Amino acid sequence: MSSNLHQAGVKLLKQLGRHAELVMDVYLSGSVSEDETNAAAIEKLRKSDILWRPEADQELRLKRSVRALLEEALSDERNRQIDSNVGSSLASIKTLAAHYKEARHNVDYAASEAYLADLSEHVYSFADGLRYSIRVLWSRINNEFGYVGTINAKIRENELAQKQVTELLNGLEMFQFSELGEIAGDIRELRKLLVTSLQDTLSDCTQELSVVQGRLLELLGRFRQIRGRTRLLKGWLLYTDLHPDYHPADHVSHKQLPALFNCAEALLAPAAVDVHSSLYEPELFEIVSNIKRIDRLNAGHVIAEQDVSVSLSQTEDFDIPDNPLKLAVDAYFCAVIDSGKSQSALEYLDEQALSWDRESWLYQVICGYEGLPEEHRQYFELEAIGESDPVYTGNFVIRDVELWLA
Amino acid sequence: MSQVTETTLVGTSALIERLLKGQFICRTTDEDGWRALKNPDTRERVEAYLNQINRTIGSAGEGEVFFCGYQQLGESERKVISSQFKDICNALIPLVEWLVLVQEGSGQDAPLSEGAAVRLTELQTRIEDTPAFREQLAKISHYRLFGSTSSNVDAQIKLVFKRLVELGYLTKPNAEKQIFIATGKLDYLYEVIRFIDETEGLSLEAQAETATQRDLV
Repeated sequence: MSSNLHQAGVKLLKQLGRHAELVMDVYLSGSVSEDETNAAAIEKLRKSDILWRPEADQELRLKRSVRALLEEALSDERNRQIDSNVGSSLASIKTLAAHYKEARHNVDYAASEAYLADLSEHVYSFADGLRYSIRVLWSRINNEFGYVGTINAKIRENELAQKQVTELLNGLEMFQFSELGEIAGDIRELRKLLVTSLQDTLSDCTQELSVVQGRLLELLGRFRQIRGRTRLLKGWLLYTDLHPDYHPADHVSHKQLPALFNCAEALLAPAAVDVHSSLYEPELFEIVSNIKRIDRLNAGHVIAEQDVSVSLSQTEDFDIPDNPLKLAVDAYFCAVIDSGKSQSALEYLDEQALSWDRESWLYQVICGYEGLPEEHRQYFELEAIGESDPVYTGNFVIRDVELWLA
Repeated sequence: MSQVTETTLVGTSALIERLLKGQFICRTTDEDGWRALKNPDTRERVEAYLNQINRTIGSAGEGEVFFCGYQQLGESERKVISSQFKDICNALIPLVEWLVLVQEGSGQDAPLSEGAAVRLTELQTRIEDTPAFREQLAKISHYRLFGSTSSNVDAQIKLVFKRLVELGYLTKPNAEKQIFIATGKLDYLYEVIRFIDETEGLSLEAQAETATQRDLV
């Protein structure tokens, strides 16, 4: 018998596997219509009771048990079916316990063992079912009933879920552990199943369900608030449309001022620098030139009032023309023109015994070269003398620059 | 010890300044300040400071939004409040129309409330594609509150959003991105409408509900 059952089960599962595509299509679309391409497969599935026809002129649908299997395995969020029928589970558990006790009393070990296995199966599947129901509820809460579109539908879904929670909780109340304890008597196996294991499950689940209930109420409150606000806005528009000359009454003239309208006048006006005023330009440039702080922590921190971009397009106006370093560099360029020979910048610096810092001198020479107008620059060639950084590739350390006439 | 008092002083000074500027403090605009006001100790300190200049902390939106009000009301204070009330009443219709436009334009079933983001470019595309929304936007932007004279959707919507940032109903956290976040001041606005609705017995919600039911029929 059991090997028959085993074989039949394997056959059924294989069939499911063979027609997996079709089964999933039916699962997703709800029903399937027969045509030539899939007639054979559908016939087979129908014979093994995977598909069925609810009414003569209806299309074929998946059997509830297969659908439930898929819903559970795929944790499909559209699943809102919750088995809250605790009463019948309790009754079957009690019945099986009675069978077991009787068989034990009659010293029929084979039967008692079978009953115990059956009973454990019932108890565990009841616990699993309960946990599964809670999981389904949580998944619906966690995506805030995202599978329905409108707020009204969400409110209805939420109410359905609350009803289910209440039913589950009512069902769980039917468990009287004193009664179960009496049934179990002093039989160790029964006590373990009916009292210890069930009690653990139930107390866990009841606790979790009350959390679920709290969350559902909270969500419902939020949904109602959202709906209330939407209606408030719509109602306001409707009302002002109907009464175009409507003006709110003067609610602030009462002796007792509603706290809501007690808004003080701004004491401090928001201040911002007028960066477009050319009068402030020297001051602004001084401020900007003093900025040195490297502040990586506050990088990206933007102050709300500061949405004016500072443009620095006219910097040349502020080049100080008689900068002596620049003049010296100009002299160096002239010296190169006069001599017509190439000369390194540092050599010139030493030759003329100029007092400039060597690095600034090099920078200024490079700047001087880059700063020349295009038509002048093409008379010169500037080459940097130096070496690549020994450690970091791509970095070139300039030791000196050489200038000659092109 | 001295450091602790110093940091709290520095912290509340910015907060007090914002309150005195007439800004609304909420989680979105100023989370530190909001947290400070949620804390009874700091709130008391700020309150004590404000009391010296006849100001007090007011709150709305179930205690999530804070603003500065008068402690004692004299003639001049009442005048200020009366003019502010007038301002807010005049702003109500444009703001409500704008809120409905944003809600419908972005296809959401929740109206804008604190912390919700609006992507301007997305909204703009939707409005541009729908003549009814375009008309609505034109109407809204021409209200005195926004004062647009343009007939171009881009200019209208940019101006409306800019004004709303100035008025404190929206913030723009990143200057380079066209993403706006609604502030607690919007929640304050809802409370004002609800207050008017309740005190004047307009039963706006019931009217809206019957209207939608009529639509369904």
